Amino acid sequence: MPSKGQQRYDAVIVGSGAGGGMAAWVLASKGLKVLMLEAGRHYDPKRETPMFAAPRVAPLMGEGTPDKPFGFYDAAIGGWQVPGEPYSSAPGSEFMWWRSRMLGGRTNHWARNSFRMGPYDFKPHSRDGLGVDWPIGYEDIAPWYDKTEAIVGVYGSNTGLENHPDSSPGVLHDPPAPRVGELLIQAGAADLGIPCVPARRAVLTRPIGDRNPCLYATSCGRGCAIGAAFQSTTSLLPMALATGNLTIVTDAMVYELRLDRRGKADGVNYVDKTSGAHAAAYGRVVVLAASACESARILLNSKSTFFPDGAANSSGQVGHNLMDTVGAGMGAQFPVLENRPVYNEDGAMGLHLYIPFWLYKEQARGDLDFPRGYHYELGAEGRGQPRLGMGKIADRVGGYGRRLKDDVRRYYGSYLHFTCRGEMIPNAGSMCEIDPEGTDRWGIPTLRFHFAWSRHELNMVAHFQKTTKALIDRLGGNIEYGDVTPEEAISRGGEIIHEVGTTRMGDDPQTSVTNQYGQSWDIDNLFIADGGVFASKAHKNPTLTILALAWRNSEYLANELGRRAL
Amino acid sequence: MSGKRQARLRIDRRTTLKWLAATMAAAQTGCGGETRFVGAEIPPAPTQVDGLLGTGALPAGAGYGSDPDVMHPSVPWPKTMTDGQLQTASALADMILPADERSPAASEVGVPDFIDEWVSAPYSDQRRDRETILAGLERLERESRSRFGASFAAARESEKAELLDSLAWPVASGTDLAESVEFFRRFRFLTVGAFYSSPEGMRDAGYVGNVAISGPYPGPSDEAMAHLEGVLVKLGLKSPD
Repeated sequence: MPSKGQQRYDAVIVGSGAGGGMAAWVLASKGLKVLMLEAGRHYDPKRETPMFAAPRVAPLMGEGTPDKPFGFYDAAIGGWQVPGEPYSSAPGSEFMWWRSRMLGGRTNHWARNSFRMGPYDFKPHSRDGLGVDWPIGYEDIAPWYDKTEAIVGVYGSNTGLENHPDSSPGVLHDPPAPRVGELLIQAGAADLGIPCVPARRAVLTRPIGDRNPCLYATSCGRGCAIGAAFQSTTSLLPMALATGNLTIVTDAMVYELRLDRRGKADGVNYVDKTSGAHAAAYGRVVVLAASACESARILLNSKSTFFPDGAANSSGQVGHNLMDTVGAGMGAQFPVLENRPVYNEDGAMGLHLYIPFWLYKEQARGDLDFPRGYHYELGAEGRGQPRLGMGKIADRVGGYGRRLKDDVRRYYGSYLHFTCRGEMIPNAGSMCEIDPEGTDRWGIPTLRFHFAWSRHELNMVAHFQKTTKALIDRLGGNIEYGDVTPEEAISRGGEIIHEVGTTRMGDDPQTSVTNQYGQSWDIDNLFIADGGVFASKAHKNPTLTILALAWRNSEYLANELGRRAL
Repeated sequence: MSGKRQARLRIDRRTTLKWLAATMAAAQTGCGGETRFVGAEIPPAPTQVDGLLGTGALPAGAGYGSDPDVMHPSVPWPKTMTDGQLQTASALADMILPADERSPAASEVGVPDFIDEWVSAPYSDQRRDRETILAGLERLERESRSRFGASFAAARESEKAELLDSLAWPVASGTDLAESVEFFRRFRFLTVGAFYSSPEGMRDAGYVGNVAISGPYPGPSDEAMAHLEGVLVKLGLKSPD
């Protein structure tokens, strides 16, 4: 119970990224008093985004370091290693766990790729007998995708392609015009029977409120001071704060759930990182949105007489079914793109076109040796802003002197990069648990990861490689990298930073952690609003679906609170 | 590789055998091998290169940490190269990218300073490059003095070219020159990357972005589209739409 004078909120939300930001805005808009606890520091993109700053002004030309893996200007405070917050991987296993310790979390730097999951993606087990189905179908979430896209702002176009649902009319923003590299790939792909269509990204091409449209320069990964590229810190959080119903406390590292005498959620305990003091926060409802693995860690660390194996874990599934996106890449140099006319190729600083998965019929017929889909993200800017990596041209051509200068002019802009983003199927060897020997700087037990790819994912990578080679060959290119075995090509677990599944939703309390609303089967006033609830991990990047689910589930939560059902 | 280039390589190999053997001890290489991304690896302890180019300070200080002020970037670690190392580096950078009618030489846009910043950094990748680059500069200087009686920086252009011609293209690993070729490759990578990241280099390369555009993104220019149409015809591909 709160001490005298301490407020009991309607909802305590842990985390301020996609899921937490959406939950805060939906609940606060309905008049509920909301407390948000964020483990990182306060962060304001309007004041802290180094828009247009040249790489050469940054230490080491802004290249990645152990302190900032994606480079000096990346809008992430943290990374795969966070000082004082270790984790481990079980012997023979490797998993990389990204944490962004800042208000807005990973929404500040994500690639903004926003693809809807389709009807097949919610019922994968029904389709191929692997993994599990979701407790909802596409039709249940479709209206929430529309609403989410309208608030977030997503550019793209309706393609009518199989398992790639259209948005309702008027929802999408106009996609930016394709660039030369993308048009070349599109022409080559068309010749091989492969679609290449406008991508969908959470970047405005028309204004929304005080958020401006994209100005077609400066990397979205740095964050976006003008609010064009979606991040919770320039949209959902200011909107929620404007209701007067949201209180945000930063540097608050939540480590366990508080339970009342009936075993219901009463709030959370956290460490105030600025002082090291322990504190409690109280709410009628607790919403965990700390990211899939951090939320699982909080639950597993919440041991009690009610829940000796951790809160909300009567199924034993908390921490299990850990999935990440399957990643692989290949790049090539294209003589036809040498010495071409100069124009500004920055564009929206991300995908304009992409290749959606196109082999559903072949897969259904059993013609393929992998069961799920992948898409291509295209690195086709060509003449992107020169960085230290320009030196690779010299590695390639050799030599020195005036001729090297001519060679750089000739080859700059003649490279195209192909990236695989594929679906992983949950397996028993991929999960996280409490490390019996590890604690962080505050004494909180840490996570230990197990991770393994299966033949399904490796065969998918092999198919991506074969297809990419055919495409490169059709365009007369010379492979520069990525022509290695699938085992060498596949990303490491966690490397793509799409971890989901560790508190999955389902129809059966025996095999799932929450119901279709992200509501714990065991503790009905506990909700989970991050990627942990994913029952499967479609190849489509997860953030848009996290947002849509968080909205749907927060509406349900508010209704339940309203009728005093919790 | 052209026949002419191969012939040149053979001659250079014979003449350079000696200098490589004499200076091998100066090069204490790090663990080697490229990492796919940076993790929590502990940087190898820096070694001192004590030779003709002087004895620089050992790298000191920490990195910029996980939360640097990105609006006001600064390099927290001190630079460590000696004047002698910087002079050799400057002369080498200008051999790699000399001034021409379109852009200045590498040293004119701050490349040697950047290399100093790079090899002085407290991170593992940079520590490995430090070992490679400082030892390589020392070997280059030693060879220049023994062959031409002049420091590399003071040697004639043709003399400098004679040294570089044996280093500028790949050789099989394990061969006599492999270590110096690797040094030259890394040094050239940093030189080219830093040069083209400068305003002068970006202009030279033909980068015209990083400017705010109001209204829709215009896409390729008419000239760029006409070029693409030609490419598609050449490849026998249909133009999209």
